[in-house]
Amino acid sequence: MTALSTSYEGIDVADPAVKDATRLGMVVDQDKCIGCWTCAVACKQQQNVGIGLYWLRVLTVGGDAMDVPAGIFPALTMAYQSTNCFHCDNPPCVKACPTQATYKMDNGIVNVDYERCIGCRYCMVACPYDNRVFNWRAPVQEPPADVAVVGETPARPKGAVEKCTFCVQRTTEGLLPRCVVACPTGARIFGDLDDPDSEVSILLRERPSYVVFPERGTEPSLHYLIRTGPNAVGGDL
Amino acid sequence: MSSVTSETTIAPAARGSRGLTLWIGVLVVLMAVGFGAWVYQLKQGLQITNMRDNVIWGLYIITFMFFVGLSAGGLIIASAGRLFDVKQFAPIVRLAVVEATVTIATAAMLIIPDLGRAQRILNLFFHAHWMSPMIWDVTVILIYLVISLVYLWLYTRRDLAVRGSWMALGTKDTSDSARAHDYRLTYILAWIALPAAVLVHSITAWIFGLQISRGFWYSAIMPPLFITSALVSGLSLVIVLAFVVRRTGRISFGDDLGAFLGGLLAVFLAVEAFLILSEVLAGYYPGIPTDAVNQLFSGRYAPGFAVEIVVGLVIPFVLLAVAAWRRRPQVVVVASVLALIGIFVHRANLIVIGLGKDPIALPPGTPLGTPQVSGSSFAVSSVYFPSVWEFLIVLGIVALSALLFTLAVRYLPLREKPSA
Repeated sequence: MTALSTSYEGIDVADPAVKDATRLGMVVDQDKCIGCWTCAVACKQQQNVGIGLYWLRVLTVGGDAMDVPAGIFPALTMAYQSTNCFHCDNPPCVKACPTQATYKMDNGIVNVDYERCIGCRYCMVACPYDNRVFNWRAPVQEPPADVAVVGETPARPKGAVEKCTFCVQRTTEGLLPRCVVACPTGARIFGDLDDPDSEVSILLRERPSYVVFPERGTEPSLHYLIRTGPNAVGGDL
Repeated sequence: MSSVTSETTIAPAARGSRGLTLWIGVLVVLMAVGFGAWVYQLKQGLQITNMRDNVIWGLYIITFMFFVGLSAGGLIIASAGRLFDVKQFAPIVRLAVVEATVTIATAAMLIIPDLGRAQRILNLFFHAHWMSPMIWDVTVILIYLVISLVYLWLYTRRDLAVRGSWMALGTKDTSDSARAHDYRLTYILAWIALPAAVLVHSITAWIFGLQISRGFWYSAIMPPLFITSALVSGLSLVIVLAFVVRRTGRISFGDDLGAFLGGLLAVFLAVEAFLILSEVLAGYYPGIPTDAVNQLFSGRYAPGFAVEIVVGLVIPFVLLAVAAWRRRPQVVVVASVLALIGIFVHRANLIVIGLGKDPIALPPGTPLGTPQVSGSSFAVSSVYFPSVWEFLIVLGIVALSALLFTLAVRYLPLREKPSA
């Protein structure tokens, strides 16, 4: 295989406010999501995620299988829910980790120190959202990884847990996460939830939204805007 | 105290030494195979197991829980017997402490193959995170192991000194007053050992029971249920081992002890059944179809639950509840073996059902973590059955456990001296 192009024009979208954020968060507009998986693919490229592992996946709401609408013809509805680490404010994974390998950063990101991780997978047990993945083998990249765009993406060793980091190496440089930049419909919006003037804060004020499993008290930093379009089926899992 | 009068100071080695050699040979082969499998797993990663991102834990953790339970049960029996001065326990109390010591060491070893990066296990100490129940468990297991060893040493050091064994660790005084002194010390240590034994399995229960992400586990009944299953399995193993070791002549007791222990086991079984009933009723009554408890009665997990209840609880309880039956050692041993099987299946059910269904059941589901030969790399639920490698590694560790026990029986004075 040939190495991927090293031209990343257009993906280094800067948002200086991201650099000084105190609680980074994301809003996903399900009205805009078309279920194309571009975010998931961009994520794999950006973070050199091994084959078989996904930091970001696009769930189909309501249907029995992927890309299958919910309901009975002709009253069908179709919606997608792209899902990655929710970077909870009360993260059960951080509590569970016996070695402090997973930790909460000052800007709200829940990060993983791959070198400290002992691979006990207790964080995966603790996560109610299945957003963590484990390197059951030495990670395999096809084509070979050569796509770290800003800063270094630490290589993950075999036997370590990994997950979405809100593109920590980009966001600490003031760049938007790759999935946000890549989304062709602008369904993913990123910013500081503590800043009342950020786009995410305005959206959450102006439109009804929900988080997944609010009753578990994890306080996710990833919010979904409840669907308002003709395909609206509510907004719950 | 024991009615034994002729004290053997040197362990009799002649009888059954060929059988012993063969037995140790088999264990060493199993250990070698298991070690080889573990080295292969270190090289290949945990992909050679059948665990994946949806069933995150498997046979290693199931067996770990089982062995912690065996140990806690054994030490609770031994220390509670000392605290409440249950004279019947005297002939087997050393055996029970040996059982507790060996099984807790085994449990600690069983964690190692489960780690993706076993070479970094010391991070548990260098970077301990005190909010994590896993760190509580590591801590309490290590303390508990030390307590068990001290307890074992206190019980045997005078007899070891008589033999001139190095394991007496400097103890020289073998007078009756020294023995009486030790006997009082075991009482004090029993005060520490009993709560430690209860704690060691409670904390193991909290590893599961404090996780709100897993509805099947998140329950306040987990610690009492774990303690009770520890009592059932620990006592069962002590019973089986006691009758086996009695055949070697290294301990002696009357069949009435079997009846006594069998009766006790019946009580523990009844408490276990009661706790399971409480838990199942609380899960079943509201009628939420997605509740994991519903899966106990129909579908993939129903046979396992049936084994847990019928083989592990009902049959042994009936066998032991009838006074005339439990006076026969064979019946008590069979009931104990069934109870052991039942508790192991109970542990397996807990893990596999607790992890088998994704919390978010939307398609395509959870990425499995490895590319699949056919079908999707995602799943919304999963069947778990251990791979051959997992079985080999666990068998190797269990063989090491059996070897340690065999050596302890061979070299430690397990016969209670008439004293105090």
